[in-house]
Amino acid sequence: MRSALGGDARAYARLLREVTPVLRGIVSARGRNLARDRQEDIVQEVLMAIHRKRHTWQPDLPVRPWLYTIARHKVIDAFRARVGAISLPIEDFENALVADDPPDGLAARDVAGLIGQLDRRSAQIVRAVGLEDEATASVGLRLGMSEGAVRVALHRAMRRLSVLAQGTKP
Amino acid sequence: MRTDALIELLSRDAVWPLFRPRRIAAAVLAAVVLCSALFLALAGVRADLWHKVLEPAIAAKTLLPALVCAVALRGALRLARPGAKAGAGWLWGPAVVAALLWLRAFASLPAGQRFSEVGVLSLSECIGLILCLSVVPAVVALLTLREGASVRPWQSAFLAGLAAGSGAAAGYSFFCVQDNPLFYVTWYGLAILLAAAGTALAGVRLLRW
Repeated sequence: MRSALGGDARAYARLLREVTPVLRGIVSARGRNLARDRQEDIVQEVLMAIHRKRHTWQPDLPVRPWLYTIARHKVIDAFRARVGAISLPIEDFENALVADDPPDGLAARDVAGLIGQLDRRSAQIVRAVGLEDEATASVGLRLGMSEGAVRVALHRAMRRLSVLAQGTKP
Repeated sequence: MRTDALIELLSRDAVWPLFRPRRIAAAVLAAVVLCSALFLALAGVRADLWHKVLEPAIAAKTLLPALVCAVALRGALRLARPGAKAGAGWLWGPAVVAALLWLRAFASLPAGQRFSEVGVLSLSECIGLILCLSVVPAVVALLTLREGASVRPWQSAFLAGLAAGSGAAAGYSFFCVQDNPLFYVTWYGLAILLAAAGTALAGVRLLRW
């Protein structure tokens, strides 16, 4: 951690790699019922949190309590968010996003057209999470938004898409 | 995104942001001092301040909230680092002194004089002005504390509000002419707690990360 603080990117990568199995252990112990990929999403959220708040570690103190406190906090947060969150039934919107076998690309153009009616940021989020299956955490990092804000924006965008799709039905 | 790829991405972001608690403390204290100075410039300090400032009961009216401000701010800054404790137990010190002052005044004053200064105007002036003066410092405290990573956002926001409210009360005390501890311990205390509770309610979302 001290080397990383001094700008050593390789040391920082090594630290994150060494922490990851520990995080996986914590997440899988707490969320046995969750699918493997959901667990991995949470591990990634915790890694992002460690990264975002890395400056709050005090170099004269041991790193382990700091690391575990962040991990515990974010794991609890992530599970709470999943329990309390409105689930995003992406399957409910698949007709609006992806058509069955578009022979001439017409449906794909419709989808692009619908997404194009959203504001720029919502469209970016829908494309990244809904179409390219990118994790909300990494979309948040890229767009400078918190993960929760990405989820809320995605949910709103999906609702808007649903309304738009119904409005364009013949 | 695969976790290995994420780690690669994160490790490339080699610039470490700085967490500067002293800068946060300076910003909050500057907000307290500037708001109080502006208020005192407009409303004026009490005329007999320099004659009475060394009387213990009157000095305590400024020193106790100033001490609460310092301890609460220190606690909020400590909580901004995950794994640290607020150390807010020190708040019992000024609280106990204030309670003793209150009890002593209650015991020594005749029944008719104990709450003679309490009126709608004096209360609304005291509580209202302290709350108004604490708004800017509370906002500054919450915004700057977002740099940190409190795992107890409620407690952090409450301590930020406590610092803002008690700092405002310390500034307001140079204007206030109610020197009876029964008055100022009760109503300054209530105003400070209202500022802390309001900041906690308004600020808890800001400090989540």
